[in-house]
Amino acid sequence: MDAAAQIIFGGLFQGSLYAVMAVGLALIWTTIGVFNFSHGVLMMLGAYVAWQLTALAIPFSVVVPLTMILMAGVGWLLQASVVRPLIGRPNIVLVVVITTLAAASLIENGTLEVWGPRSKQIPALVDGNAMLLGVGVSLHQITIIFITPFILLALWLFLNRTRTGLALRAVAQNEDSALLVGLNVKMLYGLAFAISAALAALAGIFLGGYRFMSPVMGADPLLKALIVVVFGGLSSINGPIFAAYLIGFFEAVCSYYFGLYWTPALLFAVLIITLMVRPEGIFSGKSRGLA
Amino acid sequence: MALLQVRNVTKAFGSLKALDNISFDVAPGEIFGIAGPNGSGKSTLFNVITSIPFGPDRGQVVFDGIEIQRKSGNDIARLGLARTFQRETSFDKLTVFENAMIGAVYCGRRRTSSEQRESATDALNLVGIERKRFGQTADELSVYDRKCLMLATAVAMAPRMLLLDEPASGLTKPEIESSIGLIRRIAERGITVVLIEHVLTFLMSLSQHLLVLNQGQVLALGEPRSVIADPRVIEAYLGTRKAG
Repeated sequence: MDAAAQIIFGGLFQGSLYAVMAVGLALIWTTIGVFNFSHGVLMMLGAYVAWQLTALAIPFSVVVPLTMILMAGVGWLLQASVVRPLIGRPNIVLVVVITTLAAASLIENGTLEVWGPRSKQIPALVDGNAMLLGVGVSLHQITIIFITPFILLALWLFLNRTRTGLALRAVAQNEDSALLVGLNVKMLYGLAFAISAALAALAGIFLGGYRFMSPVMGADPLLKALIVVVFGGLSSINGPIFAAYLIGFFEAVCSYYFGLYWTPALLFAVLIITLMVRPEGIFSGKSRGLA
Repeated sequence: MALLQVRNVTKAFGSLKALDNISFDVAPGEIFGIAGPNGSGKSTLFNVITSIPFGPDRGQVVFDGIEIQRKSGNDIARLGLARTFQRETSFDKLTVFENAMIGAVYCGRRRTSSEQRESATDALNLVGIERKRFGQTADELSVYDRKCLMLATAVAMAPRMLLLDEPASGLTKPEIESSIGLIRRIAERGITVVLIEHVLTFLMSLSQHLLVLNQGQVLALGEPRSVIADPRVIEAYLGTRKAG
């Protein structure tokens, strides 16, 4: 029973973190058709901004939304500076990998310069621990497990039930046709980056309340989010959500039975096999789009 | 006063002049045809008028009294100038109704939510897409229905002018006849139509004025019957039929 409970909680928690990270990455891919390799440092910067705001004695209930808003602005600026000027150029996917990696390096080193190398931690969403199914779990983790589906549902409702969401889904599918119906494509690209950065910041707050923060803390979540997105499929944000939980559970099972050391190797083995059998991802169609 | 005025428009790609000093007017309410052999600059002309994906190098485009040659594509669309592409470019993963709605919502007109829905429904009814298919995604439709959906999206914008780039390409003869009826119904709503087409019978049956382009230049402009009787047009465009 203990084993099952540990795997369930571990899988749900990791899956929740990966889902929040991966949907942001998938949103940018499906809308603009580029990979944002600074997504990990945006997560890290979100955690540091939240830490700074907390240090200024701002109530944590205000810190979370304020951090997301500030990071949405950072995402918008990032898009305007290192992505938008390159749209329409040949090899844009590769070029944006380089420019977003460069931006990531700048942000990472800037964070080191501003906040220093000492590890930091932000407050938990909810303090304390609880015994569930015979396993001790922090209330911070349980909160993340419960609120993540609502966050993902809110994003789904935004994309599928609002006019701005409809516009984002349209621009994701056909930029020229989107211009023809009067959509401001540049603004929508900025919005996609802003939402993505806000989600990355939220993931940073989740992680920063659970582990010690450092300027390099975004590297591993970025890698996992990339795996989730590729595994789940690049044609929508639904695939990565399912894939995030699947990979979360896979990691929890592997960690329990084979140990943390072997888990990444097994994950990559499954990813390689998946890509050989179904290159478009397990939950994917073949075209880009948010629908 | 003309609704669309194109004055001395030029567009070059390197040393190739795709459009060379093109000028013409389109009056409100008319159906204006544009013909020409492959590579004569017809689609490039639509591109520079709509600034999608590029505007002209030189010259002036005036729509409804406003110079638009330096405006962005979406701003031009919001002024009431809609366009369809030669290929079926609907939003594949959106439903039929969402495709029409996006035209109704972002066209720049102030409308209530119910007016937007009415406009989308009306546009879909006009092109003959039944209500039971409103929930299908666009990629489930046939080529003809996707062309109709593209038209419905444009009509839902309530444009003053609609530029149609080869609406009959890839269609069967009965579908072409249906398209002719559909374009007439659109024009009857007071929407000015500018039409590029290879199928001359299509252009002849619809247009009040016909412009023929050849190698990026205006070869002839006027009433369709007199234009196709012009020896230069016969040589440049219909000459292949004569030779065959």
